[in-house]
Amino acid sequence: MKVKHGFFTSLKCRECGRHYPKEALHVCEFCFGPLEVDYDYDLIKTVLTRDKIQSRPTNMWRYRELLPIEGEPTIGFQVGFTPLVKADRLAKRLGLREVWVKNDTVNYPTLSFKDRVVSVALSRARELGFEIVACASTGNLANSVAANAASGGLKSYVFIPADLETGKVLGSLVYGTNVIGIRGTYDAVNRLCSEIAGKYGWAFVNVNIRPYYAEGSKSLGYEIVEQLGWRLPDHVVVPMAGGSLITKIHKSFKEFVKLGLVDERECRIHGAQAEGCAPIVNAMKIGADIIKPVSKPQTIVKSLAIGNPADGFYSIQTMRQTGGWAENPDDTEVVAGIRLLAETEGIFAETAGGVTVAATKRLVEDGRIKSNESLVLCITGHGLKTQEAVANKCGEARVIGPHLREFLALLDRKD
Amino acid sequence: MAKTTKAAKSANEIKRLWLTYPKKAIQRPAIYELGHKFKVVTNIRQASVTEEVGIVSLELVGERTEIKKAIKWLEGLGIKVEPVEINVIEG
Repeated sequence: MKVKHGFFTSLKCRECGRHYPKEALHVCEFCFGPLEVDYDYDLIKTVLTRDKIQSRPTNMWRYRELLPIEGEPTIGFQVGFTPLVKADRLAKRLGLREVWVKNDTVNYPTLSFKDRVVSVALSRARELGFEIVACASTGNLANSVAANAASGGLKSYVFIPADLETGKVLGSLVYGTNVIGIRGTYDAVNRLCSEIAGKYGWAFVNVNIRPYYAEGSKSLGYEIVEQLGWRLPDHVVVPMAGGSLITKIHKSFKEFVKLGLVDERECRIHGAQAEGCAPIVNAMKIGADIIKPVSKPQTIVKSLAIGNPADGFYSIQTMRQTGGWAENPDDTEVVAGIRLLAETEGIFAETAGGVTVAATKRLVEDGRIKSNESLVLCITGHGLKTQEAVANKCGEARVIGPHLREFLALLDRKD
Repeated sequence: MAKTTKAAKSANEIKRLWLTYPKKAIQRPAIYELGHKFKVVTNIRQASVTEEVGIVSLELVGERTEIKKAIKWLEGLGIKVEPVEINVIEG
């Protein structure tokens, strides 16, 4: 018999604070504000200790009291607890003493942090009685929903813009999901998907299941704290698309402090976007509260190219509250960032990772991160997914005939 | 207002939208005009306006075709119209 836990208590509007039942709801009926999961922290504090967490299997569910499911998880048993790599060679190049890379390029099964959010979303969707799961995505999320639904025996639909690159479509099709390509502008596709989500009794992970889905990102923050030996770093740099991840990492740190699992200290959380689509960074830099949408994103960093970020305002709050800052490197810096991480640490990140590294470089150069301070970089997806971004930018193989003299001649050459 | 909305709900469709006004459209009483041009009930839930941008959360109730026409008209003014779920598509 499954045990139902009372650790998460309700959904709560982030704007007006109204409470809602733990159902497939995502918008406050009163003010249209986003709904967020609320927990009984007093109860959690009585059961969750460092020892208890450490005694559990090394996956994201070791923090299950702080994730919004009522019974046992049913999807994603191998997700999370990715390596926190001590990046000494990168640190040296950046002029810092202590740099860590939270390496979600090797997250299971689809090589991005999206497996964390999807595991929670699908486990919760199943608890709520859904048999069909869906999402609208241009890449990582689609792959993750398709793969995790397949492994959990759930039927899935993935909605994508019709002109998406073949490789990305294949990355979902292979799992046997229903891929629906939609002709039209980005806005038109968004509108249709929100209609579909409202019309059918499906679990749309980033629409009606969003409050649960988004909480999965917190596991990245919990792992950083635990893997650092139960301490908060001086700085964290996080890539921003819709802005959810940075707010959830902040929430995870606050929760651990509240539960007495880590000592409170100043931890500055910085956000990174690409110059060609940086609505949150732009607002942060001019001190605005309102995000001015970017109607036509122009960057190679497609996974962060959200013109009107749903959590933009909350991201700015996170950065301001923690004393963090925001940076928006251009595409040339992004490619340099990907190469720097690969050449120093052997980690091939997708373009979002390049943004994070390049933004960090700027933060160091501006003196916002000091040489004696500790830093964690959140690297959220694998470079194999966005190879076109670095194609023709890493040099070429030097070709010779199958003769030793040709090889020796090649070594002697200066070029 | 709440009463009207409730009555209209039974026969019509409901759309929950975020409107983003560019600088040039901020001073135009677009929602007032919308209510006169089209058979839709408008219900503002939140609004925030600066010199650079205006953001309004708006509920529209009416027949599907009429709502579609109303949205198209707003877009013609340069106002960005998105479902409250904004950015349903993720990376």
